[in-house]
Amino acid sequence: MYDISICHLYPDLLNLYGDRGNIIALKKRCEWRGINVNIDNITLGDAFDSERYDIIFLGGGQDYEQQIIQDDVLNIKGNEIKSAIENNKVFLCICGGYQLLGKYYKTWDGKEIEFLGALDLWTIGGEKRMIGNVVFECDFLKSDNFDGKIVGFENHSGRTYLGPELKPLGKVIKGYGNNGEDMYEGAIYKNVYCSYSHGSLLPKNPALTDHLITLALKQKYKDFVSLQPLNDDFEELARNSMIKRVVG
Amino acid sequence: MYHFKFIVSIIKFIFWGNTSIIKIAVHNNKGCAIILFNLIFILIENAYTLGENMNLRLTFTIIVSKLAIKICRLTRRGGTTLPGKIARKLYPDIINVITGGFKTIMVTGTNGKTTTTRVIGQILKENDIDYITNKSGANLVGGVITTFIDSVDIHGKSPISTALIEIDEAAFKVMCNFLEPDILVVTNFFRDQLDRYGELYTTLNGVKAGISKLKNTKLVLNADDSLCASIGKDTGKEAVYYGFDSYAHTAVEETLNSDAMFCIYCKTKYHYSNHVYGHLGGFKCPACGYEKPSTDITCIKVDELTSSYSKIQFSIDGLTKDSSSEDGSDISAFNAKVGLPGLYNVYNALAAIACGHLLNLPVENSINAVSSFECGFGRMETIVTEGKNIKLILVKNPTGFNQVLSYLLTETQNMQLAFLINDKLADGTDISWLWDVDFEKLHEVQERVDSFYTSGIRAEDMAVRLKYAGVYANKICVKKDYSQLIAEGLEKTPEGHSFYILPTYTAMLDIRKVLKEKYGLKEFWK
Repeated sequence: MYDISICHLYPDLLNLYGDRGNIIALKKRCEWRGINVNIDNITLGDAFDSERYDIIFLGGGQDYEQQIIQDDVLNIKGNEIKSAIENNKVFLCICGGYQLLGKYYKTWDGKEIEFLGALDLWTIGGEKRMIGNVVFECDFLKSDNFDGKIVGFENHSGRTYLGPELKPLGKVIKGYGNNGEDMYEGAIYKNVYCSYSHGSLLPKNPALTDHLITLALKQKYKDFVSLQPLNDDFEELARNSMIKRVVG
Repeated sequence: MYHFKFIVSIIKFIFWGNTSIIKIAVHNNKGCAIILFNLIFILIENAYTLGENMNLRLTFTIIVSKLAIKICRLTRRGGTTLPGKIARKLYPDIINVITGGFKTIMVTGTNGKTTTTRVIGQILKENDIDYITNKSGANLVGGVITTFIDSVDIHGKSPISTALIEIDEAAFKVMCNFLEPDILVVTNFFRDQLDRYGELYTTLNGVKAGISKLKNTKLVLNADDSLCASIGKDTGKEAVYYGFDSYAHTAVEETLNSDAMFCIYCKTKYHYSNHVYGHLGGFKCPACGYEKPSTDITCIKVDELTSSYSKIQFSIDGLTKDSSSEDGSDISAFNAKVGLPGLYNVYNALAAIACGHLLNLPVENSINAVSSFECGFGRMETIVTEGKNIKLILVKNPTGFNQVLSYLLTETQNMQLAFLINDKLADGTDISWLWDVDFEKLHEVQERVDSFYTSGIRAEDMAVRLKYAGVYANKICVKKDYSQLIAEGLEKTPEGHSFYILPTYTAMLDIRKVLKEKYGLKEFWK
């Protein structure tokens, strides 16, 4: 019997655009396979001990809520987050949570806001929001029976750029991605997966969900090999209908 | 001779000038005949008033816009915003000119706009006050202008002097440039279709900016909503507050995803003396002291909540009931039955009663109105066919959807459920909010539901959502065709039972068309 412990960071503040669907997807896909799941909600003022968790999730928030957590992330939980990343913990970070792990956010009128600096990336605010359905392709998910295509919905004005240490999560087929310029979406560093895509990201993309669960189990159990397959008819229907609609 | 020239110029304009009207005409076989017929009709109807002192441009604009309204209706578009747009193009200042003679009541906010508007309308009816209103949920600036144009004669005058207007919260700020309401009712602020409105605080600040342009407007505000109540504090306008007393109702459900947990002024977590639902309740910031303002219209007790109505006691500050009621009850308390289910409708009723109070209308008439009003467009409609009920309830954001689900939990009979999810502009192109809706609580009624249908453009996404909420996959059925959906859902519904259909806005428009053809549902703009 396997156990997975998930930490949802700031669920009461970073909870925009149905991001909690990612937690629901991780939980359900474990439970359907008989894997025990424990979810801890860790927010402002709570102690955060990353060793207790196998997967750590950080969602996006409105500017107002991001200002509230700024100090807590940088000065209280920051070091713990950084060491967890270096120790190969599995992270999923969406939108605002993705930006927050980077070095800074420069507003469109030139003001620079210091972020955590856990990842070699930075974000520059734009006046135009990048909104819409997005389809991108992840090479690491491609297999004989999977095309590697991920679907989601993006809504951000920040344009994010990756330093040399980071790989993008995928290549944009339709949509804006990180910055609307280089046609890449998201970032990967060690076991940290970042994306602008909500919608929610994981429920409709079970291949990615299972990838994260597999990584977490492999970290924790030396004997773990692979997950048993599930019936994903509805998920595939949803994913394919969006790919067909957006890509044609 | 003068009139002849005038008529010719109108005809010229319509056939060579305005492409919008021509487009409608060309796309419809009857179009040209309809234009001519209506033009003649409008002119004959108004011929006797074509006097010398008229504002030619105004008259011209009104005639063209009225014609466009008729064409829109005859071509069954139901589009009620185009004529207003045309009018603004032709005469940018038209709204100022034609609304001047009205006493205007305006309703805005995220949830409950339409219902609150309807209840206020019912209160006006109880008091024999004639009014005009934008009935079909056409609540953007164009739709509001259309409503006024429809009600005035070609000189811009109307025998009716009260206007009751529902206005989209994101369009409100612009509306304030043209129209100053006498009373503004703000229902609440919740997250809604974020991709269209930007962020919640942007919407709220837009409403505040709009209000700051107004000079003499009296506000009716929800005291239990920390966001809504901040309008009173920030704009310094005269306001009447409504809300729940802290002992009126104890929330059974834990609030899952609060939209405003932290103080709007200093970002400290609020303390609550009571929660009603969502972030509504008796909030107080322990740091800066910002708190729920004292209420003028107060629900002091919820006596009964059922699947079709609620019974409440409320008080009005400074007003006592006729003390001849000798049953020993609190003489400051009024009893009212709210003719629609759910706590959210209690708020809507309180808002309407507050509006009636501001208008100095007798409270008894307001009580009669809230118990008897008919529901607004699609918020909850029942169609009875072959002894079975089709119940249509509009869903548009997490809080509203959660309230509808809570209501479904009160249904004790076996039922069918259909979720119709579209992602057009009016629905919000981002449907990720479905993941903020607490579908998990449907497990309580799962055994009483034979089929969970999903339909609309995003039927597949809705099916995934239900699956992850714990609904048995073999009960989930993706059915895109509305005719088949209705036929199959009804077939599975036993006599005397209900088939619940929960559509987003544009899905509501589409399924109404089908329901209208098959079951004679009335046109929504009538």
